[in-house]
Amino acid sequence: MISTFLNHQWKSFWRSRNKGSSIIVQIILGLFMLYLLAVAIGIGFLMPVLLEKTLPKVNLIEAFNGLILYYFMLDIAMRIQLQELPTLSIVPYLHLKIKRTTIVNFLNVRALINFFNFLPLFIFLPFVLTRIPSFYGVATVAGYVCAILSLTLFNNFLILYIKRKSINNIAYFGAILLAVFLLMGLDYYHIVSIRSLSNTLFTSIALHPYLSIILAVIAFAMFRLNSLFLSANLYTEELGSKEQKKVSTDYVFFNRFGRVGELAALELKLILRHKRSRTAFFMSILFLLYGFFFYREKLLANNEFGKMLFAAVFMTGITLVNYGQFMFAWQSAHFDGLLVNKIDHRDFIKAKYLLFTLSSTIITILSSFYVVISYKILFIHLAAYFFNIGFGATLVLYIATFNRKRLDITKSASFNWQGVGATQWILAFPLLLLPFVIYVPFGMINQPYWGLLALGIFGLTALLLRNFFIDIIVKRFEKEKYKIAEGFRE
Amino acid sequence: MLTIRDLKKVYAQRLAVDIDHLEIKAGEVIGLVGNNGAGKTTLFRMILDLIRPDAGEVLSKDQNVAKDTQWKNYTASYLDEGFLIDYLTPEEYFKFIGSLNGFNEAHVADCLNSYTDFFNGEILGRGKYIRDFSKGNQNKVGIVAALMQEPELLILDEPFANLDPSTQIRLKSIIKKLKERRGFTGLISSHDLNHVTDVCDRIILLEKGKVIKDFHTNENSLKELESYFSA
Repeated sequence: MISTFLNHQWKSFWRSRNKGSSIIVQIILGLFMLYLLAVAIGIGFLMPVLLEKTLPKVNLIEAFNGLILYYFMLDIAMRIQLQELPTLSIVPYLHLKIKRTTIVNFLNVRALINFFNFLPLFIFLPFVLTRIPSFYGVATVAGYVCAILSLTLFNNFLILYIKRKSINNIAYFGAILLAVFLLMGLDYYHIVSIRSLSNTLFTSIALHPYLSIILAVIAFAMFRLNSLFLSANLYTEELGSKEQKKVSTDYVFFNRFGRVGELAALELKLILRHKRSRTAFFMSILFLLYGFFFYREKLLANNEFGKMLFAAVFMTGITLVNYGQFMFAWQSAHFDGLLVNKIDHRDFIKAKYLLFTLSSTIITILSSFYVVISYKILFIHLAAYFFNIGFGATLVLYIATFNRKRLDITKSASFNWQGVGATQWILAFPLLLLPFVIYVPFGMINQPYWGLLALGIFGLTALLLRNFFIDIIVKRFEKEKYKIAEGFRE
Repeated sequence: MLTIRDLKKVYAQRLAVDIDHLEIKAGEVIGLVGNNGAGKTTLFRMILDLIRPDAGEVLSKDQNVAKDTQWKNYTASYLDEGFLIDYLTPEEYFKFIGSLNGFNEAHVADCLNSYTDFFNGEILGRGKYIRDFSKGNQNKVGIVAALMQEPELLILDEPFANLDPSTQIRLKSIIKKLKERRGFTGLISSHDLNHVTDVCDRIILLEKGKVIKDFHTNENSLKELESYFSA
């Protein structure tokens, strides 16, 4: 029976609606997966070199041992964000002549097929298999393998259990993430050392391999706990997202913008009330940290703004990128409804401008904390901001009229490629490259501030011409709306 | 066959289903009627152990459906598209349902043969996944998948909805013939009063989760229901 289920899952994967429709997306996704896999295996085989490089003073085995629990701690943080519950897949089976235990077993087996369950094997096993034998022996290798497998399974079922019990409670997830980061911090300052704990544990396993059976027992206990919980609560209503009581809200702020504000408020509700858009939205805030990778003191001291422009445009315009890339498709489920109703298309487009402007403004204000690195960053952000609200928003909305892919917004956004098509790629290039093109001539004659000014003026000009752009977009929208609506009905 | 006791389900502080006592005998075909939100589907879901009641129990052949899955052996149902595995072709789906009942492929093909009229050439061999069919045709797949299992207890939620007129009439005759041929216990909800009074032996009228009327069908039933709903 389980094999039939798995067979169905396999078919579901290959036959899912967005598969096949765009082969390019599939190839890119496939390459991306291969890349991740290659990186993991690479890390696995280069582990000795990497450990010697990063921790030159520590004995190799000790460094490796210290890493294991540390990894599994990070693993929890990653899983809590990204691991999905395989619950919905059982709906068509519940009313059929299938035993409850079979369905529970299926859910458990299905949960094992997960990227996070393979990752640790690729990372740790090469080292265990190539290095450990020369230090200890075959029994120890078995102990390590058993311990690593057990920890993987433990994490897998722990996260499933937590997710099933707390269902989409953001506070819960936040607390766990915070705890993990706190532990990392404590480890960094040598207050509580995860690494030495991990080292102690695996040194004991190295000496007494049978101790790893304890970990296996704990993992099995977690598995049983999950199974028991599942068989007692096998109702999709309870395993799915627990619904809070819904209340009607009114965003008073938007009322001042009249009909346009009404439409913008409608869309804000759409964003906040769907998983995928919500994730895109919160990711935008997370991307505020992006600057730490790009804003280097040397670049700032030499006024080499061109190299930081990408990060600035990306951060201040993150909502354009994250939300704008699927423009109109967010509303694909009720697009027909929008068309048949008495909505002026001009207002419709203006509402989107309003949302982009507001969100970019908020993000830009939030991003001003980079002033602690240098005041110069504020100038870069300001120029990028004007570019985004002036030109970026227009570009996004114009390109959106080419997008005909329906978007399923009820699913989570992470690793979700549903609805991705050519438009998303067309969008990225001009949006992120154009600022650079404008800036570069000034950068070359060593006038970085003039470069920023030029970018800012370019953006402001586009902003002043907004009504003109709106006319163009509305005209195009009215011409394309039939094709867009047709695509969304798919 | 079915006994319902003190069954309650609350949604958003509103009683969706509130039935003190309801007895359904073997061989009865029940028509369940009521306006939207009357609790028909919620009741079906609790009978099928798809949602947990807030109070009370559903007994199928004296076994609590939430405690024992024995009922699955003689019950078949189709409530909505969520029951279909929509990325399969209809053939694959029927084969799967058949295999759950121990039917081999030939047996399944045999069963499907007897529904040729009902399918009207729109289901089999079309080279489409279930999700690519229209709602009406998806409905046909679900209904036949349930009928094919030759259940003692058959539960259908608004089976006539989305079907074209010819198919509605064919479905009625299928149900009637099945009743004559071997008898079965059925729960069929519908908004079409004509249809339910035509095929069902007993009508149960729900309003806001409560049983308002419960009577055996006769020549006056349709009038009685019409007067209730027009009031």
